[in-house]
Amino acid sequence: MRRVTPWTGLCAVVALVYAFIFIPIIITASVSFNSINQSKFPPVGFSLRWWNEALTDRWLEPLALSIELAAAAAVVATLLGLPMALVLVRTKFTGRAALEGLVLGPVVLPALVTGIALLQMLQLIGLGSLFGFPALLIGHTIICLPFTVRTIAISLRSMPRRAEDAAANLGASPFRVFLLVTLPLIKSGLFAGGVFAFIQSFTDYSVSLFLAAAGIKPISVTILGFLEFGFTPTLAAVAVITLAVPLMLILVVQRFFRIGDFIYGAQSRG
Amino acid sequence: MMHKMTWRAALMVGLPSVFLLAFFVAPNAFLLTTSLLKSESQVITNQVTLENFSYLLSRPLYQRAIIRSFWIGAVVGVLVVVLSYPLAFYLARTTSRWKGLLIALSLTPLLASVVVRTYGWWVLLNRDGAINDLVHAIAPGIGVLAMLPSSAAIVIGLTHSLLPYGVLTILSALNGINPHLEKASMSLGATRWRTFWNVTLPLSMPGVVGGFLLAFSLSISAYATPAILGGPATSTMATQIYDFLTSLDDWSLGSAMGAILIFSSMALLVVGVVLGARRQAV
Repeated sequence: MRRVTPWTGLCAVVALVYAFIFIPIIITASVSFNSINQSKFPPVGFSLRWWNEALTDRWLEPLALSIELAAAAAVVATLLGLPMALVLVRTKFTGRAALEGLVLGPVVLPALVTGIALLQMLQLIGLGSLFGFPALLIGHTIICLPFTVRTIAISLRSMPRRAEDAAANLGASPFRVFLLVTLPLIKSGLFAGGVFAFIQSFTDYSVSLFLAAAGIKPISVTILGFLEFGFTPTLAAVAVITLAVPLMLILVVQRFFRIGDFIYGAQSRG
Repeated sequence: MMHKMTWRAALMVGLPSVFLLAFFVAPNAFLLTTSLLKSESQVITNQVTLENFSYLLSRPLYQRAIIRSFWIGAVVGVLVVVLSYPLAFYLARTTSRWKGLLIALSLTPLLASVVVRTYGWWVLLNRDGAINDLVHAIAPGIGVLAMLPSSAAIVIGLTHSLLPYGVLTILSALNGINPHLEKASMSLGATRWRTFWNVTLPLSMPGVVGGFLLAFSLSISAYATPAILGGPATSTMATQIYDFLTSLDDWSLGSAMGAILIFSSMALLVVGVVLGARRQAV
């Protein structure tokens, strides 16, 4: 018989950790197929009625809002993040550390407090009319910005500067260099940052909880509000759908851009 | 060397900076101000006071919520590091062709909304849940185990959702270790274990500390997990803030509790810098 090597032991531990990661997700998915209106595991019988219910407007509308919001926040955060990253990576100036701190602030301070603080300020300065999509977009852009700036910064650092110098030497204007050389070279970073921002926004509830308005609630807040009626199989089906959205986005984008390369840099916060 | 920012750079960072100042810095400054203002029958006055803080810090209910948050944060931090270290170590060293997929799978909880993350635990742990069904089938004499709501359930739920952060910080620390150091240790006669304890583990400590602090700070401000897997008896700073702002409509106390959360996060950041925790700068 073979001796158990440390590596086999490690593999066993790793298998247990993966089980810990996936068991609750698998349970949620299977609970949605219960034939009774109770979240039983293993499921009692088999039925698709909760999926039918999950695919009605009551759930699809907040889901669509969440997708629109996440897409808008990702685009705005990328547009604001690109010039920020360019300056932070390419130039030296006094106050650079302060600017870095400003950009990282939203991941350092709790998102929940950012949400409350925005709610309070908008009310105080009489911009209560912004609650709903505009306020949500502002709040989500804030929490997404650190992710886009960081990811774009990584791609700017790893791109060959010589390509830009060459283009400039050949007489291209700085703007043309940026448009025709820099942008294409960092497009993976732009898309990866956008994807991270989308996921950050899509899975957020801390900021949304306070900035949503009646009838304009992202899916996370809608689900949280529904929980007072208990965990029903319908919610399980909705939960699985919300997991599928970012998963599909990653699969699609990953086909065209290597977003995986940016994961350590962009997601490890703190 | 001092450099003045060029006009072009200033123009480029102008818009994003103004955006952050207006919608991130200003609101938080407002909140800190409100936490220092006296409120009379839910109306905030202009009187500066530390009463809100002394009230929160002197009432057993709020004291317990604050202590519970930190306690949960510390336990979650330790569990996240303990569970994610072997996983990160495996992912850093494996030569499997599925490495990329395995890394992606370990990050799945990041893609899941908090309800996906907590729902499964609720199904397992509640009074009529899977574990109680199992207990009832095997040993009916035991009766119903009350596992929800509880701090332990909150800890399990948070550990599960924050595990990817531990994996990411530790994995990036492990990837940053010069492989020659381990080879040198082995060629000098150290066993694999000794090499791990004396070379690899110490060199990966910044990742461990970073992962712990990250899980800690995200735990103390988490709202949904304690709200779902906990109850009134297991309130935390975040659930208290929610109650202050919704059912109690008390902005002074809510802001003061929020300020305590802000200070805690800043303190954790400072601890991280002092301990040299792994932290990706822009």
